[in-house]
This record gives sequence, C-alpha cells and structure tokens, in this order.
Amino acid sequence: METTSMKTHRRTWMSLATGLLAASLSFGAFAQAKPPVKIAAINPLSGAGAFDGQLALEGMQAMAAIINANGGVLGGRMIELVTYDDKGNPEEGVSAAKRAMEQDKVDLIVGGWFSAVALGQKEVTRDKIIHIVTSAQHPKVTDEGHKYLFRLNATSTMMSDRYSKFVCDNIKPKSVAFITINDDYGRLEVENYTRLLGACKIEVKGNEFYNRNDADFTTALTKLRSLNADAIYVSAINTSQGATIYRQLRQSGHRGTIIASAGNMNPKLVELSGPALEGVYSISLFAPDSQRPMARKWMDQYAKMFKNEPSFIGSLGAQAVEVLAQAVDKAGDPRAYDKIAAALKGPKLNTLLGDATFDDKGQAQQSIYLIQVKNKKIVASGG
Amino acid sequence: MMVFLQQLLNGLANGMGYVLIAVGLTLVFGVLRVVNFAHGEFFMLGAYVTYYGMTLAGMDYISALLMATVMVAGLGILANRFFFQPLKKEHEFTILLSSLGLALLLSHLAETIFGADPKYVDTPFSDATLSLGEITVTQQRIGVIVVASAMIAATYWFIKHTRMGKMMQATAQNPEGAALTGINTRFVHAYTFALACALAALSGALVGPTAMLYPTVGDWAVLKGFIVVVMGGLGSVTGALLGGLILGVAESLGGGYISLGFKEAIGYAIIIVVLLLRPNGLFNPPASRK
Repeated sequence: METTSMKTHRRTWMSLATGLLAASLSFGAFAQAKPPVKIAAINPLSGAGAFDGQLALEGMQAMAAIINANGGVLGGRMIELVTYDDKGNPEEGVSAAKRAMEQDKVDLIVGGWFSAVALGQKEVTRDKIIHIVTSAQHPKVTDEGHKYLFRLNATSTMMSDRYSKFVCDNIKPKSVAFITINDDYGRLEVENYTRLLGACKIEVKGNEFYNRNDADFTTALTKLRSLNADAIYVSAINTSQGATIYRQLRQSGHRGTIIASAGNMNPKLVELSGPALEGVYSISLFAPDSQRPMARKWMDQYAKMFKNEPSFIGSLGAQAVEVLAQAVDKAGDPRAYDKIAAALKGPKLNTLLGDATFDDKGQAQQSIYLIQVKNKKIVASGG
Repeated sequence: MMVFLQQLLNGLANGMGYVLIAVGLTLVFGVLRVVNFAHGEFFMLGAYVTYYGMTLAGMDYISALLMATVMVAGLGILANRFFFQPLKKEHEFTILLSSLGLALLLSHLAETIFGADPKYVDTPFSDATLSLGEITVTQQRIGVIVVASAMIAATYWFIKHTRMGKMMQATAQNPEGAALTGINTRFVHAYTFALACALAALSGALVGPTAMLYPTVGDWAVLKGFIVVVMGGLGSVTGALLGGLILGVAESLGGGYISLGFKEAIGYAIIIVVLLLRPNGLFNPPASRK
C-alpha cells in the first residue's frame, strides 16, 4: 500500500521526469536542423565514364562542404547531394532523373555530363525543375532547352570557333584526320571542324568513329594511319578510352601532331597516357594555376577530402553547386524555380571559374583557355 | 595491301587473346558442365594482381604475371569448392544464374577495393613497337600471340597425353562412367577449374596492358569468350582456337573494311547464326555429341 510520503516522492519523480522530458523535447526542437536543400547529383559512376563521374562528384562534394561550413544557404539550410548513377547512357540518365524528382523529391538537379545523356534528360526535367547541365557540349542542349535548363560548359561550337583559329594560325598542319565517338557530340565535332579547318585550307583526310564501350582501338587507328594525315584530332569523352586511344595512336607508329578535343583534358588522363600526350593542346574553362580566391579555396578543400587532383570536370561540378547556392539564396526558396531561373539569368555571377553570365537559353558565357600538356602537367598556354 | 596485312595482324593478336579467354571457359563447361559467367572476372583479377604486383610489390612484369596466374588459380579452386561444388546437384540454369551473381559480386568488390579509376599496367613491352615495313605491332601484342599459342599447344598436349588430361576427357564424356572406373571426379573438377582460371588470369595479365584496366572489364572478356565457345563448340579446345582466330580477324577486317559499328555487331551476329544453324559449334558435325 502506498504511504503519503511515497506518494509525494512519486509525484516528485513524476514531475522531475516530465520536466526533463519537456526540456529534452524543446531542446530537440531547438537543435532540430532546418531541412536540407536536396540537389540531385546524376553522374556516370559505372561503365567507361566512371572515373570522370567520380571526379565530377568529388568536385561537387568539395564545394558543398565549403558552402555548408559557411552556414549553408537560406540562413542555415545545409546542401545535401543525393547521388545517382546514369551509367553514361541516356536511358539510365532519364530514369535517374525521374527517380530523383518523383521518389526522392529533390529540389534541384545537376546532371548530363555526356551530351547524349543530357539531351535525353532535359526532356524529363522540361519546365518541371531547375536542371543544370555541366560538361555536355552539344549545342542542342540549350538550343532545345527549357526555361529551367542551364548549361555551364561552352558548346562544342563555341569551343571549335576558338580552337580552330588556334589550329589554323599556330599549329598549321597540312592535313588532319579525326577519330571521334559515335554519338551526337562526336558527329557534330566532325561537322564543325571539317568546316572550320577546311576554311583555312587544311585538308581533311577522313574520320573514324568508335563506340561508347570500345576497349581496343587498333582497327580504327590502323584505318586512320593509312590516310597519312599530318595531324590527328582525337575526340575522346572519357578518361579510360582517351588514354587508350592516345597510347595506341603512338603505338601504331603515328609520329605527327596530336590535337586533343576541347574540354576533355584532366590530370589522370595525362598520367595514364604517358608520353603520348606530351605537347598536346586542348581547350578548357579551368586553369589549374588560377589565383582566384574561390578556385584556390576549392582546390584546398578538394585536396583535404580526396586523393585525385582537381580537374576541369570537377570544377564544373563545383560551379554547378556554387551557382545554385547563390541563386537559391537570392530567390529565397529552393522550389521557387521562376525566381531561381531569373537570378541565374540576371547579373553576372562570381564563381571559382571567374565571371559567368547565362543568356536567355540558359547557356553560360565564360572565359575559355588554351591549355597544353608540358612535362606531364596541364598548363595554360598563351595563344 | 599493307593496310590489309596490318588489319590481319591486329585481328590475329586480338584473336589469340580471345582464344586464351575461351579455352578455360570451354574446359569448365566440358568437364564440369558449368556455364561460368564469372570467368571474365578471373581475367580481370589476373590483370589487377599483375598491376598491384608491379606497383605495390615492385615486382617485374614477368614475375607479377606468374604470381597472378598462380594466385587466381588458387582463387578458382576456392570458388569451385565453396560455390560451384555445393550447387552441383542443381539444374544447369540455376548454376548459370548463380555464376552471374558471382560475377557481379566480384566486379563490384573489385570496384570497391581497387576503385573505379582506370589503371594502366605499364610493362616494358607495351609501348615498344616492332616494324616490318609499314606494319607496326607492339611487343606486348606479339607476346600475346606467342604465349597464347604456346599455352594452347601445351593445354592440348596435356589433355591428350597426360593421365590427368585423360581423366578430364573421361569425366567430360561420361561423368558417371568415369566415377565408376575409379576416377576422383571431384578432384578432376577442382583441377580443371584451377587450370581454367589460370588461363583466364594469364590472358588478363597479357591482354590487360594493351588497354586500360577497370573493374568491369570482365564483362567484355566473358562475352568474347562466350562468342568463341559457341563458335568452337562447348568443350572443344581446338574449336576455341579456330573460333577465337576467326572472331579476331572477322572483327578486324569487318571493322576495317565495312564499318566500325559492324565490328561490335559481328560477334553477336555470329552467335545468332551459329546457334541457329550449327548449335554444336562450327567444327562439329551437326548431330555429334562431344
């Protein structure tokens, strides 16, 4: 039977317990973080482009870490990257975008690293969600884009205009032959450069296409060699195929010039290609010796988090996260897509790659640099 | 003419690589009646062990290659003991699906442990070239042709003339009969599997340095192996030799003279045609049992 003193004790304990519970609940509510801003990161994480997708994701993660360390966006909301694997092919890219929007309910999407994937993916995101395409170069991505579609990299047309001038004026080969990937991007490359290089009287001797999953290029390179071109233009969209092509090209006995396609150079490619890439030129939006504060901050953060060297493709991922954070802050809400689009298309944005402005179609206008591989390092080249 | 010869040489080099992959696959089917989809992963592991032997342990290429062959053969014995042997009583299709599962397991483990970044196996032979007039070939590819030929000849001789080889033939022809004559079929199975994995690993160590190495390269290898085995007939070593060479040369010449897209398609087209017209392989009379 309960005595009065026991009842008093029980009440005391009860009120103490209730008090503690209430305190812990309110403490919990106080410490409960604001909901994160979810950005889908749809990259090639398997297949031939897996390494490039990894570099891209690392770039994004490093930038997200910097932004979150500075308090995130919208007064305390952390950026959360939700990763998906598009396997480098359009079907998976589309399916990943659908999952991101419908199942995981992300706020924003960054995806479309290869042109073929981007072209398919943008149809799924059309007018539904902000979609930043990063490295894909095909002009149709923005030409046939939508009001929420943005693309960071220069188009292959923009690059080829600049690059072909350099090839015509500085490299000056007598003839050229191409080896390109058999997809929309590769076919456009051949069209562009045939026209532009032909215009300055360089003889275009021919072209060979290779396929997305090829591991061996000796057949194509043998055909190419038989054309006896002065220079060979290699359009390789991922690191592992690229390194193989450059090596096998030298192994096939080619002693002439090698021109690497725009936007496809990274330190790992240089390492894997060995002597085959020495002296080879390319075009990039990322100058590894940049002194810009945000670029250096990003490179430092990247070095703290990852073993790989920061690359152009990583910098595009970082830039995507950076511009989204800035635009979301201006718009006030990660789902206020019209406002975010307006913020992106508004006054120029200050990013790790420099000033970037987006035009009406969502195409970014940024500085393009000529780069060269010298002593196994990628350096910005005058010219 | 020179281009034709060059393409022919390319085809022969590639073809011998395929043969080396296919011989192990066909032996495992012939003796164990197992369709091993994970065969390509042993190719991949052979290449990776060679790579790490050279980069981490500082071994030279040949030693690393030999170590890889032995290690992966050992891995094959384990795989047979703990994976294929317990499943022996199951339907062939179940075993096939299980081997697919093993393949996925191994390639994803490889990706986790080794990383998805492409690796380059830097041997002293990979960039060095030999030229005969206009025709160029790397020493590595010559190595593939020479070593593969030697290994095929050795394997063929082994099967035809040694006691173990004859036991393998007996087990392949009639498992119950072989057991009844006192052959330890379990031991024969383990031996065959080890041999097959050793050959796969060797081909990985030889062919790997001709291109980049990544964890899913086994998918490519096992597919080529299957095309060759279908052409040559399941269980036939000579069939694998001829099939592999035909595939390599057909791809090279088809790709060189028709189109490169054709090069990819030709392997698949061959499987369909052979299975429709000569399901026992191109070189066996249609109604024979091997």
